Amino acid sequence: MTDSELHPYVELIAREARRPVFTDRMGRDRVMAAIHAEPTPRRDVRLWERMLEPRAFTLSPAGSALIAAGLVGIGVIAGMTSTNRDVRLPDGQPTVADVRVHLPVSDTVVNFVFIAPQASKVSVVGDFNGWDATKTPLVRAANSGRWTVTLPLTAGRHLYSYVVDGNWSMDPNAPLAPDDGFGHSSSVKIVSRGSAL
Amino acid sequence: MTRFPRHLYRSHARPLLAGVLVLLGGRGIAAQDPDPFSRLDGTARYNIELMIDSANAAGLPSQCLRSTALLGLSRKADGKRIVAVVQKQLNLLRVAKSALGGSDREELCGAAAVLDAGGKPGQLNAFRIKQKGRNDLEAFTVWADLIQRGVPSDDASMAITKLWQDGADDATFQSLFRNVQSDILQGLNPGTALQNRIREGPGRVPPSTVKPPEGQQENQSSR
Repeated sequence: MTDSELHPYVELIAREARRPVFTDRMGRDRVMAAIHAEPTPRRDVRLWERMLEPRAFTLSPAGSALIAAGLVGIGVIAGMTSTNRDVRLPDGQPTVADVRVHLPVSDTVVNFVFIAPQASKVSVVGDFNGWDATKTPLVRAANSGRWTVTLPLTAGRHLYSYVVDGNWSMDPNAPLAPDDGFGHSSSVKIVSRGSAL
Repeated sequence: MTRFPRHLYRSHARPLLAGVLVLLGGRGIAAQDPDPFSRLDGTARYNIELMIDSANAAGLPSQCLRSTALLGLSRKADGKRIVAVVQKQLNLLRVAKSALGGSDREELCGAAAVLDAGGKPGQLNAFRIKQKGRNDLEAFTVWADLIQRGVPSDDASMAITKLWQDGADDATFQSLFRNVQSDILQGLNPGTALQNRIREGPGRVPPSTVKPPEGQQENQSSR
């Protein structure tokens, strides 16, 4: 037994519903235009797709500069934290991480002078700069062959050499140290005590 | 899907790229300094650090050894050579300490240089007794220099020891160095040059008659 057999109104409603509906073309176009005007419903996008989806964003020049400054800051902090890791200090002290910072105490300023009229580049290397030829360049006095640099040094005995256009050279005015075992003799500078800052 | 506009690449990529480069560059600069021994091979590095530890344990000046190792690296010597030179210096420091007793670390470096130049351990005995207010660094430096310039080791030892025992100060040793250097440069035999200068005064070398070369006077100026 069906509902229509029980209720004659149900059969009447069904018959009306089955009847074809005729609309004019203009009306149908209006309806379709309205549908197209509606925004497209969002499809269900997965998280990773959203993460990979390119985005457009705008930044002012000041904003860009701030981001660049931030990156520099991160670099400096990262550099400082990674510096001196697992480093053995002079006298075999443990790594820097375990040691308080001690500022170097200079007892005297020493003026290094080298005469080299033909040289294009002069630097001084020694136990005070790790024998690094890039660390302590001398400055040429205007219109002369006189190169100078002033350095703070601690009291004691210091070995040094000049590097003139890439060639190591002793100080002709200073005492010689014995051959260093690498085919070269360094010069010696004694910095006296008593002028501690 | 929104496309990334090209003009945004142009306007913001440069500062961002500059930031990244500075970030990487900063790490590079920071990484240059901290561990110069990282340029040594593993075995050489181990041996040098072992010797530095040994020097510290024995109360010897390890900064001399460290400086020598760095010098070797700077001179682009190979690891074996650097280890050999540092080992030799450690041995010299041990001998110097044995000869001088409880000297300070700088003096031991100077005394080791004298031994390295050709001085004998027994010749250091005169410097064993410390005199208040006097430092033998200048004496050791001139002593090693004289031997380096060709003065016979025994002659240099006698001259320096006599001056030291007569109470010569740093200026006297410097004056001796300048005078002898000048005489040698003028062609005099190194041993003769030293003898002449020592003979000039009864135990004390007269003030230098040699005008210090340019720059020499200003090579040290106290603050």
